[in-house]
Amino acid sequence: MEAALPESARRGVAKPSSEAEARRRRAFIYGLVAFLLVASLPFLPVNNYIIAAVVRALIFISLGQAWNVVAGIGGLLSLGHGVFLGIGCYTTGILFNMYGVPPWVGVWGGVVLSLLVALVMGSMTLRMRGVFFALATVAASLAMVQISRHFVDLTGGADGLALKFFGNSWWAAQSRTPAPFLYASLAFVTLYYWITRWILNSKLGLEMQAVRDDEVAAAAAGVAVFRTKMLGLLVSAAMTALAASLYMQFYMAIDPEAAFGLSQAIQLQLPALIGGLGTAWGPIIGGAVMIFLSEVTNWGGTKIGVSGVDILVYGLMLLVVVLYAPKGIVGSVLRNAMKGADR
Amino acid sequence: MDDLQAALFLSLQAILSGILVGGVYGVLSIGLSLAFGVMRIVNFAHGELVMYGMYAGVIASKSFGIDPLFILPVSFVVMALIGSAQYQLVFKHFVGHATLQQLLAAIGCALVLQMIAQIIFGADTRTATSFFSGQYVIFGPFFLSMPQIVAFVVAVAATFLVELLLRTTTWGKAVRAVADDMETAKLVGVNASFINIGAFALSAGLAGLAGSVLVTYFPTYPSVGFSLMPIIIIATTIGGLGSIGGTFLGGICCGIIQQVTAMLWNSALQDVPLYVLLMLFIAFRPTGFFGLRSE
Repeated sequence: MEAALPESARRGVAKPSSEAEARRRRAFIYGLVAFLLVASLPFLPVNNYIIAAVVRALIFISLGQAWNVVAGIGGLLSLGHGVFLGIGCYTTGILFNMYGVPPWVGVWGGVVLSLLVALVMGSMTLRMRGVFFALATVAASLAMVQISRHFVDLTGGADGLALKFFGNSWWAAQSRTPAPFLYASLAFVTLYYWITRWILNSKLGLEMQAVRDDEVAAAAAGVAVFRTKMLGLLVSAAMTALAASLYMQFYMAIDPEAAFGLSQAIQLQLPALIGGLGTAWGPIIGGAVMIFLSEVTNWGGTKIGVSGVDILVYGLMLLVVVLYAPKGIVGSVLRNAMKGADR
Repeated sequence: MDDLQAALFLSLQAILSGILVGGVYGVLSIGLSLAFGVMRIVNFAHGELVMYGMYAGVIASKSFGIDPLFILPVSFVVMALIGSAQYQLVFKHFVGHATLQQLLAAIGCALVLQMIAQIIFGADTRTATSFFSGQYVIFGPFFLSMPQIVAFVVAVAATFLVELLLRTTTWGKAVRAVADDMETAKLVGVNASFINIGAFALSAGLAGLAGSVLVTYFPTYPSVGFSLMPIIIIATTIGGLGSIGGTFLGGICCGIIQQVTAMLWNSALQDVPLYVLLMLFIAFRPTGFFGLRSE
């Protein structure tokens, strides 16, 4: 009987056994060790290149976690999250370059704008099912590519927008070394992990999972399907735009393809897909694996003089995950190790 | 009055070249539509199959001095074979349901195919030359590009042949039976997996053929598939996923809207009205004009 229930219905009902309690404690300790290890990197004998790679991983973990909220918990395959990344980056950058608004303030402009766009996009597309929703989000992000190329005065056109550089500056949130970004992105990852945990256990999260598992049954049980999807999209859009400020400050530049292009949209999805959709640990493990593999293959690619090997590896990862491990690393490889623990 | 006349002339010119370009968009899209109609597969890697067709044209014209139009059968057969391999390796597992996993797998295929092309052919933009390259036809007051006219004729012929194949042959009947109801088709003795692989090969072959036609006037590069995919999706959605003739008309609609926007408004924003149109269709009429009424 119990096996017939969807996972979302079972969660919270089963009493954690003492063994599950031990696994939960162990997962927490592993997490803590990883956190301390990353935080102590600047004091260890590693060069800035490695630290920058770790920052990249942490940024994509944050962005992946944001996508995970709408896609993993809510089951909506958005291929258009580049829209919110791009809006966050461009708004912060334009406000800073043209009006001298520091990114600390500018980012909230990006968040508000993303929420508005998510509201419009959501009200048009969220009643669609599955593939049509995905296609509509692709259309939205590709329209943004052309629009951002067109308004050259504002966005710098196809060449993109580069932040004015002020050196080490708190006010401009800029730094010559990657270490400050390491702590900022680590804070983002930790915060987003707890937000995801909280959503998973909140009423909203349970309703989102119910809608994901069976929309009709959820509606019959009294869940306001459209409202639930919309809230999930709004939360995810705001999280993406917030993390976009970090992306912008770290990379110092953005262009239409990097913001809204399909390859970027895919990079936003891979952490959650590789790690495990709908789990709080998934994007963290998946993002680390993704950046590690892309760094290694890029290094190998430059050795043999071929560029773009990382994209090839992304494609292969996507295929392998979808065909052989649809539940990701957390759901398949670590399934037994994490049984009963908070995933 | 002169202004009005000039505007009228420009719109007519835009509509005419829109029809020509749109015909090729149509033949680019019918393969996608066919795969969806028969197997409910949205092959996001369709644009990449087109891209290989385009490179076939480039190689024929640059390395062997053969006109890309002469190698249409070759691109058709080669891409049909690659398509069958793609079906066997990936899409076989997703037949019957347009699921999110299927879409992700297709995107994975697209990335892999794209990067293999970049490794083989390099990242540069390449062009092909055909007999008609650079020629124009003056038709009354209008100015039409010869390669586009030829491509349009090929596109109409290919679409017509596919319709004929599906409507008159026994194989076509079986394909349509599978498209209507796979389970029932199986019950009356149709070998559905055989039909599926054939239909997918046809879909991929059409993509290759369309690519070799397109390359006579449109340059190619490894990510050209991602640039073409939006138009392909829009043409298919407007015309109706699963309907060959409808998709062809959808392609022509896209061509006209794009050319009129480029001529009368701004060529950098020529695709934006199409994206808006796609959103409207998805929101209010997801089956398009002639699409399947399902799901």
